Amino acid sequence: MNKDIKLSGAEEQLQALLLSHGNKEAAAQFAANGLPTRRIEAYHYTDLKSLLREVPSALAVANDGASAKRSNFDGVARIEIVNGQLAGDFDVEGVSVATSGNTGTGDDSVVLLSEALVGDVVEIKISGELDQVLHIDRIIDGDAAINADKVSVTLEDGAKATLVETYNGSDAAHLRLATTEVVLGEGAEFSHFQLDGNSSATRHFANNRYELNADAQLSTFVQQSEPQVSRTTVSASFVGGGAHADFAGLNMLSGTQHGDITVHLRHLVADTTSTEVFKNIVNGRGKAVFQGKIDVAQPAQKTDAQMMCQGLILSERGEVLVKPELEIFADDVLCAHGATCGELDENSMFYLMSRGIPRTEAKAMLIRAFLAEVFEPVDVEAVVHVLEARVDSWLQEQEEA
Amino acid sequence: MTTPILEIKNLHVKVEEEDKEILKGVNLTLPAGEVHAIMGRNGSGKSTLSYVLAGKDGYEVTEGQILFHGEDLLEMDAHERAAAGLFLAFQYPIEIPGVATMTFLKAALNAQRKSRGEEELKIPVFMKMVKDAAAKLEIKQEMLKRPLNVGFSGGEKKRAEILQMALMQPSLCVLDETDSGLDIDALKIVSEGVNHLRSENRSMLVITHYQRLLNHIVPDRVHVFSDGRIVESGDRDLALELESKGYAGFDNHAA
Repeated sequence: MNKDIKLSGAEEQLQALLLSHGNKEAAAQFAANGLPTRRIEAYHYTDLKSLLREVPSALAVANDGASAKRSNFDGVARIEIVNGQLAGDFDVEGVSVATSGNTGTGDDSVVLLSEALVGDVVEIKISGELDQVLHIDRIIDGDAAINADKVSVTLEDGAKATLVETYNGSDAAHLRLATTEVVLGEGAEFSHFQLDGNSSATRHFANNRYELNADAQLSTFVQQSEPQVSRTTVSASFVGGGAHADFAGLNMLSGTQHGDITVHLRHLVADTTSTEVFKNIVNGRGKAVFQGKIDVAQPAQKTDAQMMCQGLILSERGEVLVKPELEIFADDVLCAHGATCGELDENSMFYLMSRGIPRTEAKAMLIRAFLAEVFEPVDVEAVVHVLEARVDSWLQEQEEA
Repeated sequence: MTTPILEIKNLHVKVEEEDKEILKGVNLTLPAGEVHAIMGRNGSGKSTLSYVLAGKDGYEVTEGQILFHGEDLLEMDAHERAAAGLFLAFQYPIEIPGVATMTFLKAALNAQRKSRGEEELKIPVFMKMVKDAAAKLEIKQEMLKRPLNVGFSGGEKKRAEILQMALMQPSLCVLDETDSGLDIDALKIVSEGVNHLRSENRSMLVITHYQRLLNHIVPDRVHVFSDGRIVESGDRDLALELESKGYAGFDNHAA
């Protein structure tokens, strides 16, 4: 442990916050490491020491969230977490909601902060097959604040559910630390969507952790398009044979936005499979990062893990940074990783324009086509609408910029 | 005398940011209702001519002009040319995954209508138009449900091009090697599709290597293209002569 690390102003503030939150141990651990820099492999393209020069000084306090922007969908069962406080209850048979204290911790400084600053954990237990889609609106209201919240979902054996999470908040420079843990019991099926409604000044950090027991089926989708800085880490452990997961996501960035999606899959037992499809679109000086790590443990024979990341760069100074890491200790596995990156295809543009479609419209068609693969499996209508509408408005903004 | 649909006058073209000239003084007048064939070997500049007509980026016109219905074609963007009635049937139609064929057809037709100040097509009208035109070209509905040109065979792609042409009702059709990649039956279907569109208000420029296509689409005039210009023009017998003598027999001819 390096005791001599010089903390930045932001880091000192975070350390003080951990202390005032009564967590000496976490404060000491944080002080020893500071925020992750590019020297830490998992943050190779996302140096938080430089990206987080200023942080809010206080934690978000209890608030009714009356003034915050919300996401509302018809026909879903909805709860809210406003500034870390649970509001409402799922009135759905087979679902129970409770809160409990948090005991989580972590080596990674962002995980450490997220866990140490959480107040109550929102615990959701699901049994049986749900007819209704669950929706959690995670809101930060009021002045710029650091907000840590945590949702822990347990699907009992054979349970089947869809959860849509939306991130919303007031228009201030929040630091969001969101944690979502999901345990899928044997044969459980879970679809998980995270939609980005953060304010543009927000710095967003989400940690998603999944555990898949035998024959569990998981599909996830993450959207990052609003905050100045966003990073979602997705980690999954396959602990039971026959488990399968599809991970998908989108970075859609412009201006000087920085969006990082980092995935870490651990195939620990035989006969588990996974796919990853991540798309990145950058304009202006937007910077998209995708890191995909796959560990295949020695007993995990017959693992099939397919990773794909694609980037579309619309400007001279946009960047897409991609890094795969595979560590395979089993000898009978199928693991593949692929990445593509490029501009809009000139020949396709010409073809569409030669049929009378103006340049702007042709460009929009090709961008939507690029996204089609990652949107196609989304089977919740409300989510499809939100995503399509955001793509439309984003394209409009790029034209006006 | 009425204005020709297309007039190309002393057209010189080079690839942008390169010095090599590809078209070296093309002259061509295409009156309304006529079908002209341009024949030439690979690399003679035929496809460049079709791209310059359709408005592809990357070429620089260094001299000469192109008039389309008497208007300066080179002043128009590619999509404006299409709306004004120019259609290029591609030698290699582009596959565009993620764009459904029907979505594309509707967007293209409506964009053209919009730029001409016409109302958008009503969906049932559009559907019927496509269905009727597709049936004539023996295009199955299943094909129209696929993404644009994706997984189409060579013959299907060419039929899809002619389908677009039939729907867009252009006044000038430029067919770039439409016969390439077609078997005899497909050639017949495509040619019939093209012939069906011949009319006194519509002209066609048929670019090909082979005489074979011209047995099906009988041209009014044949031009031999060599080294970036037209070196010989004549009636359809010229195509037969070309077939027996080969292109070498026409090298170094002055136009």
